[in-house]
Amino acid sequence: MPDVTRAEGDPIISVRNVFKEFRREQMAIPVLNGINLSLFTGDYLALMGPSGSGKSTLLNLIAGLDRPTTGEIVVCGTNLGRSSEGELARWRSRNVGFIFQLYNLMPVLTAYENVELPLTLTHLKRKERDEHVRAALEVVGLTDRMNHYPRQLSGGQEQRVSIARAIVSDPRIIVADEPTGDLDAQSGTEILELMKRLNAEFDKTIIMVTHDPRAADEAKSILHLEKGQLVENPARNR
Amino acid sequence: MDTLKYILRNVSRNKLRSVLTILSIGFSLALMTVLIGYTAMQSVWKEEASQHHRIVVMNTQGFSGEVPISYVDRIRGMGGVNSAVPYSWFGGTYKDEEQMPFAQFGTDPQHVFEVWSEFRIAPAELDAWQDNRRGCVADRRLANRKGWKLGEQIPLKGTFFPVTLDLELVGVFDSPKDTDSLWFDWQYLDEILRASSAPTAGNAGTIFAKVAAPALMPKICQEIDDRFGSSDNPTRTQTEAAFAQMFTDMLGNIQDYIRNIGMAVVFSLSLVAGNTMAMSVRERTTEIAVLKAIGFPRTRVVGLILGESCGIALVGGCLGVVAGCASLELLHQLSRQFFPISVLELAGPWLLLLLAISAGIGVLSGMVPAFRAGQLSIVDGLRRVI
Repeated sequence: MPDVTRAEGDPIISVRNVFKEFRREQMAIPVLNGINLSLFTGDYLALMGPSGSGKSTLLNLIAGLDRPTTGEIVVCGTNLGRSSEGELARWRSRNVGFIFQLYNLMPVLTAYENVELPLTLTHLKRKERDEHVRAALEVVGLTDRMNHYPRQLSGGQEQRVSIARAIVSDPRIIVADEPTGDLDAQSGTEILELMKRLNAEFDKTIIMVTHDPRAADEAKSILHLEKGQLVENPARNR
Repeated sequence: MDTLKYILRNVSRNKLRSVLTILSIGFSLALMTVLIGYTAMQSVWKEEASQHHRIVVMNTQGFSGEVPISYVDRIRGMGGVNSAVPYSWFGGTYKDEEQMPFAQFGTDPQHVFEVWSEFRIAPAELDAWQDNRRGCVADRRLANRKGWKLGEQIPLKGTFFPVTLDLELVGVFDSPKDTDSLWFDWQYLDEILRASSAPTAGNAGTIFAKVAAPALMPKICQEIDDRFGSSDNPTRTQTEAAFAQMFTDMLGNIQDYIRNIGMAVVFSLSLVAGNTMAMSVRERTTEIAVLKAIGFPRTRVVGLILGESCGIALVGGCLGVVAGCASLELLHQLSRQFFPISVLELAGPWLLLLLAISAGIGVLSGMVPAFRAGQLSIVDGLRRVI
């Protein structure tokens, strides 16, 4: 089992003997074949591999968006395979922040309102929500653009809003699927710097799927997936 | 930002589409409002008519048959009948106005206010009418609309009767509801008809009678019909409420057809609105997947979609009801004979029913898209763009 940091104590993410297959009509298509993985608080993992190798599938399983066909995934003490859909939704809202390649902001909401969206699921009062949103926007350096709509922002700024949305509810884990995939080099560098800061200063555990070796280099460890199996690169991990 | 604000933002996302959907719902609801409002108007008229225990005598052949004037005295003399008068519809044109600008009836000035005892007229004006064969009295609201003063000359050119009446306004009466009516002396009409040898002379048209007590009405109606049953002009006698209902029944199947067509329109509109909602939701598949990914439970996602569809439908419904009420009021102002009651007096639970229909359209149109959004796999939804 790849143990990327070799840290002591219970892992925050524990993936044990996980298989995942998709069914297309009568045919079963295996995607993940016996994945074992442990991550600890403060880890920053880059998942790499060719298209169709199962990177995003593994990310979705760890983020509680999907369930394994067999095997066990325990994240933040919750066995995700045994949770109902409603329990998973609640769990995600508390424990996971999402960063997508295409930002996926709500176009009808301002930057402020996009960041506030996850907090509408909490019992926080309006004033408390306001404090959280402003703090998140402060972290990503966009307080001066909080009343702008996504269409009024650059791609890099949109991704920063997306990161603010991911951290506003203070989740322990951040999953990022190709976070720099749609950005120019300068904006991509800024986003990677920001993610590195989230990991270093705020102790967020980050799993990032990327094709970009430059982005992967910013992570503390890199794992390769090939044909649904993890291939470690111990020489790179630190 | 609260949920309602988010729903409103989504409604305004594609303004043209939302406005067109709102207008289409509004238009159909306006039609429904006019239809149901007219039915409600008939009900109010019927209810009003049932309060004054009057009965109406007409020929068994309906309005085309005659009721001889001699029947009036015979009915008036029956036990339990307080009074009776001829009530002959004239239907003439006034000056250059269109046909039937207001209701005109030939009746008996001596007894008509005994039959319509809830109407009020100044005794001096009643005396003036009773003393003047060419005299007429009008509902005060009609006189005001026309700007008539006492002494006004009112020529009525017959369309059904081949004669012209030269009337003089000698009084105005007050009625609980606007009757849009003018009354003249039946004798004056009959004299002119006799002078021109018209075959309709001596015909009372219909006879209205006031009965002493409501309980007596069925018995007296039967007695009248029995008395004239074997004559040349057998009668059909009914309560004024039944008489009012008869006009509603004249629409009979047409009313049912219109109602059914209205419901079909509402149903098809639900499908159209549903298709619009489905398109709108389909365009937002990824957004819905993101909402679910960040923790929005299925019920909340379904609520957002249903809230949006109901919001659109209710806005359309409210506009439609307002437009329908405005149309009814306009029809009332233009033609008080056929739309005798103002929409302000008609307001009632039927308006809430229409808003409930609007909400129903919203639920119906949003149900399938909301269900599909609730069932959407997050992974599939995100895969659309990632």
